[in-house]
Amino acid sequence: MIDWAAFLVVAVAALVSSAIVVSLYSLGLRLLTTAGRIPMVEPAEFTGAITVLSAARAAKDAKRARKARKANPLTQGQKRLAQYAGYFCFALCGLIVLYGVYLIVPALHK
Amino acid sequence: MEFTFIVALVIALALIFDFTNGFHDTANAMATPIATGAMKPKVAVGVAAVLNLVGAFLSTEVARTVSGGIIKEGDGGIQITPEMIFAGLIGAIVWNLITWLRGLPSSSSHALFGGLIGATIIGVGAQAVAYDVVLAKVILPALIAPITVGIVAYLATRLAYAITRRDAGKPDGRGGFRYAQIFSSSLVALSHGTNDAQKTMGVITLTLIAGGYQAVGSGPQFWVVACCALAIAIGTYTGGWRIILTMGRGLTEIKPAQGFAAETSTAATILASSHLGFALSTTQVASGSVIGSGLGRRGSTVRWGMAGQIALGWLLTLPASAIMGAFAAGLALLGPIGILLDILIGTGVVYVLFQWSKRDRVSHDNLHDIDDAGHVVKIRKTPRKPSRKDRSKVAL
Repeated sequence: MIDWAAFLVVAVAALVSSAIVVSLYSLGLRLLTTAGRIPMVEPAEFTGAITVLSAARAAKDAKRARKARKANPLTQGQKRLAQYAGYFCFALCGLIVLYGVYLIVPALHK
Repeated sequence: MEFTFIVALVIALALIFDFTNGFHDTANAMATPIATGAMKPKVAVGVAAVLNLVGAFLSTEVARTVSGGIIKEGDGGIQITPEMIFAGLIGAIVWNLITWLRGLPSSSSHALFGGLIGATIIGVGAQAVAYDVVLAKVILPALIAPITVGIVAYLATRLAYAITRRDAGKPDGRGGFRYAQIFSSSLVALSHGTNDAQKTMGVITLTLIAGGYQAVGSGPQFWVVACCALAIAIGTYTGGWRIILTMGRGLTEIKPAQGFAAETSTAATILASSHLGFALSTTQVASGSVIGSGLGRRGSTVRWGMAGQIALGWLLTLPASAIMGAFAAGLALLGPIGILLDILIGTGVVYVLFQWSKRDRVSHDNLHDIDDAGHVVKIRKTPRKPSRKDRSKVAL
């Protein structure tokens, strides 16, 4: 009656898929950062739960990012490669999310 | 004539339940992006509302099977009457409002099942409940799911931090997780729409079938789908800000990488489970993954007191809504007067709870400057200036 196998399958499936998605996206961010194109996404609204950045601090961070970009030891080609590899990771991630949407909508797979 | 009245009453109550379900569960998808600032609070609940609306139209699979297994009904079994569904819904709505007032993310589906079970025990008899199904499909998943998803979210968070780790002082680009959060939380909202609006559709369809207005075994009609979709979307847009506060800040501090890891784990678990044919509570999965991601980040703390309160809320959900459902069913058995009494008492309780909620209002406009909501969330009113050490490891 109690379907232990189903629980196990769900646990493994969830573990594998979220590990893949999170790793791919993190890798994408890492590659972009390596390429010197550091994503700077400020919070839409400052909340108490996160470290609050003032405008001055944000400017300082941007300057630091520019500096890091300049001091990058990679050649132009390597940087470009890393950048495109990063975009590739994001694209893969997007495809997996689309697969998730496909799973949500029964009309698509039944 | 009287039968038509009770059917209309059940449909109205079911839609009210759908509304409370919506605002109770906004937090599941949107608490983490709001907490990390990936989306503005109003934008986040708007996105969640639209996706719930769309999701409700996408699938009617769950609606066809809802409550079919738990209450033995149909040919040869015991026919569940609209009065019992009515009583069960009252129990579920009242429990949903009580947990909302306490800011506790509790499962709306458990409240619904609890209410229906309680009403059935009083109205029909204890033998009408399929206890083995309740254990296998409701209680066990509720115990296992939060722990499993917590482990998944923990590992996902560790992965995210390990992959993006750079030398201290160098920008690590973790702010980029905010973009990802928009998509991952949207996926959670969409899957919520395909699951939770279905339960109400199922209840309304069950009532219509029981009342002889619809052929046995047919799916929900279009107007039922449309009404339920709208009710859950409006509920979601109203936003259960108390629960958003608990999930977003009460359990642990959430940073973008954690939020993304938590939402991805939630979405993956819900999708995997509903694809394999058993429904998990979105609320329990989401809370479990927030705790897991809190454990996964170095230097973050999980407020176990809050987690304990939430777990206690889960334990109480089924019996408490069952008792309220049973009480309402007992009154409903008295006939029309009993049903009238039910409505009066129910409305009275809802009114009192609503008045109570006004004493410490939580809404999107004061979400970020409340320093003590429900006496459980402890945060500083004005954020401390980060120390030199903190500044060097600040996540962009």
